[in-house]
Amino acid sequence: MELDAAAQPRLEEFERLTPADLVIGIFDTDHQDGRPVELVRDTLAGLPKTARTVIVCNHSGPRPADASDPAASGVESIAVLQSSLSAGTAAETPRQSLMQAYPALFDIAKKLGARACAVVASQFRAVTPQWIRGQIQPLLELGFDLAAPIYTRHNLEGLLNRSILSPLYGALYGAQLRNPLGPDFGISARLLESLAGAAARRGHANQPPPVAAIASTAASGGFQICESYLGSGTQPPTDWNNLSFLLADILGPVFAEVERTAAAWQRIRGAHPVPAFGAPAAPPAEGGSVDVQRLIESFQLGSQNLQDVWGLILPPATLFELRKLSRLPAAQFRMPDDLWARTVYDFALGYHLRTISRDHLLRSITPLYLGWIASYVLELESAPGNAETRLERLARAYETCKSYLVSRWRWPDRFNP
Amino acid sequence: MWTQVGQALSQSMTRMVSKFASLLPGIMALVIVLILSLPVAWILAVILRRSLTGIDFDRRMAQWGFPSLAEWSPRKSPTLLVARLAGWIVIIIGFLIGISAFDAALTSQLVYRLFDYMPNLLAAVLVLAAGTVIARFLARSVLIGAVNMNLQYARLLSAGVKWLVTVLAVTMALEHLGIGTGIIRLAFGILFGGIVLALALAVGLGSKELVSRSLEGEAIRRPTHDMQEPVSHL
Repeated sequence: MELDAAAQPRLEEFERLTPADLVIGIFDTDHQDGRPVELVRDTLAGLPKTARTVIVCNHSGPRPADASDPAASGVESIAVLQSSLSAGTAAETPRQSLMQAYPALFDIAKKLGARACAVVASQFRAVTPQWIRGQIQPLLELGFDLAAPIYTRHNLEGLLNRSILSPLYGALYGAQLRNPLGPDFGISARLLESLAGAAARRGHANQPPPVAAIASTAASGGFQICESYLGSGTQPPTDWNNLSFLLADILGPVFAEVERTAAAWQRIRGAHPVPAFGAPAAPPAEGGSVDVQRLIESFQLGSQNLQDVWGLILPPATLFELRKLSRLPAAQFRMPDDLWARTVYDFALGYHLRTISRDHLLRSITPLYLGWIASYVLELESAPGNAETRLERLARAYETCKSYLVSRWRWPDRFNP
Repeated sequence: MWTQVGQALSQSMTRMVSKFASLLPGIMALVIVLILSLPVAWILAVILRRSLTGIDFDRRMAQWGFPSLAEWSPRKSPTLLVARLAGWIVIIIGFLIGISAFDAALTSQLVYRLFDYMPNLLAAVLVLAAGTVIARFLARSVLIGAVNMNLQYARLLSAGVKWLVTVLAVTMALEHLGIGTGIIRLAFGILFGGIVLALALAVGLGSKELVSRSLEGEAIRRPTHDMQEPVSHL
């Protein structure tokens, strides 16, 4: 990824200077000039050691001034590099455009010889000095290679993470992370090097965005991983009409990563929690209610109309259980954890085997996901304080069913229950 | 007079016999070629059957979007269909070679016209195959999209798209084959034109109340659903 013509000379100037300790990438373009510098100065003031820092702003507007006042801030220097980090073609969704910014930022961090790189991809107005400190302190002072985020959320936020991403990564790669796809990571130079090597081995054609590979590379490569409480990230509102596009955007790279790392996760046994730093804040109130009936109807509609499609992905036993589930009344609608885990694993396998078009496969999971949400919401309504217990049980189901995935992955035709 | 009758009969008989004698080598050649082509056809069919069985051709055809081919095949096996087709082609080629022994000019014209027609036949088969694959792909896309949009008539929409694309492909294939081009074009134009006109009338006049209620229902449902839901996915 090449930088803007205006930013390239500045990068070359930085490369000639002493290596930067820290590179902080700010992806959100909606921030006031000068605020990133102020924020980073406050962050670094709270650290015992000073760090030469380069802020990379994903911005094409006027560049904020560097901060080079050691007497005032106690910081050696904070320099700012401003460039549009993503190709930003018209066909890309904002999320796809954001994903393109990661390799550009990692490339800059490598060129500057940074010891650590912090990615601030969430909306900038939610970011505080404690947020950035949580991303970089474990890397600079405690020797960790990856600081994954923990956001303060209520029980109905981050459902894709809770239902699929977190338990899937935990079961496959052995590290229980609440947000394996970030997006706000702290990454060491060692891990950046490993990610660059993996990308080079993949080649440039059709490689998945590196954000899906960060947690898996760290976990399977023996890197030190931790989590940090960052605060309340602001969440985009749910666009129910385009939910299938979101699922395809997120799960496509995840399943591609599962396929790429098949040799590694088949050898990993068990899952373990990682150290967490920072103070958890009280989750906000949920506000509003969920139209569970509509979610169940979506699941039932999918069950009636997509049997032919699901039949190419799911084995007969799973199809039978899903059909049985679709006939239950709302009061009894509960999706068993092992059924859900096996369904996700079958979709990952279907992605690998290309039993149908990958785009069709990813979009056809939407009614199943809505069914899981309905089941989860109904369980929370009957036992409100048990969300964490509920999700731990789900994570254990994924771990228990991992042998099912391994068997089907190795012998897809012979093992088809 | 009887002598002349006798001579005429004798000459006619001689002509018949010599004509038959001139045809006899051709007939023998035809029979020999047919006898030789039978084992060649059988060997080719066996080789093809074993090769296609080895690559699991029947299962792959279903996966590639041609499950209906099994319905048309003997013993529901596309492998058997391809093998038998190849065998019959060899026999037909043998027959043509044999026929050329009678009248080279006639058979060369026949062969020339046959081979002239082959590209059209191949193009028609390709258009039909591509049309079938595209129809299935589009039908599945529409089905999944419509289900994700919570449309109750998702299956109907999907079937409609599939049949429209299939009809288009069949029409194009028949055009390539030169079979009833005029009437096919007319029928296709009437069919598509009729569908478009019917849709226009339905939306414009006859079903405007239904469409209006449906659109209103979607519009009301969508904003309240978004505003009240505290759910987020990432």
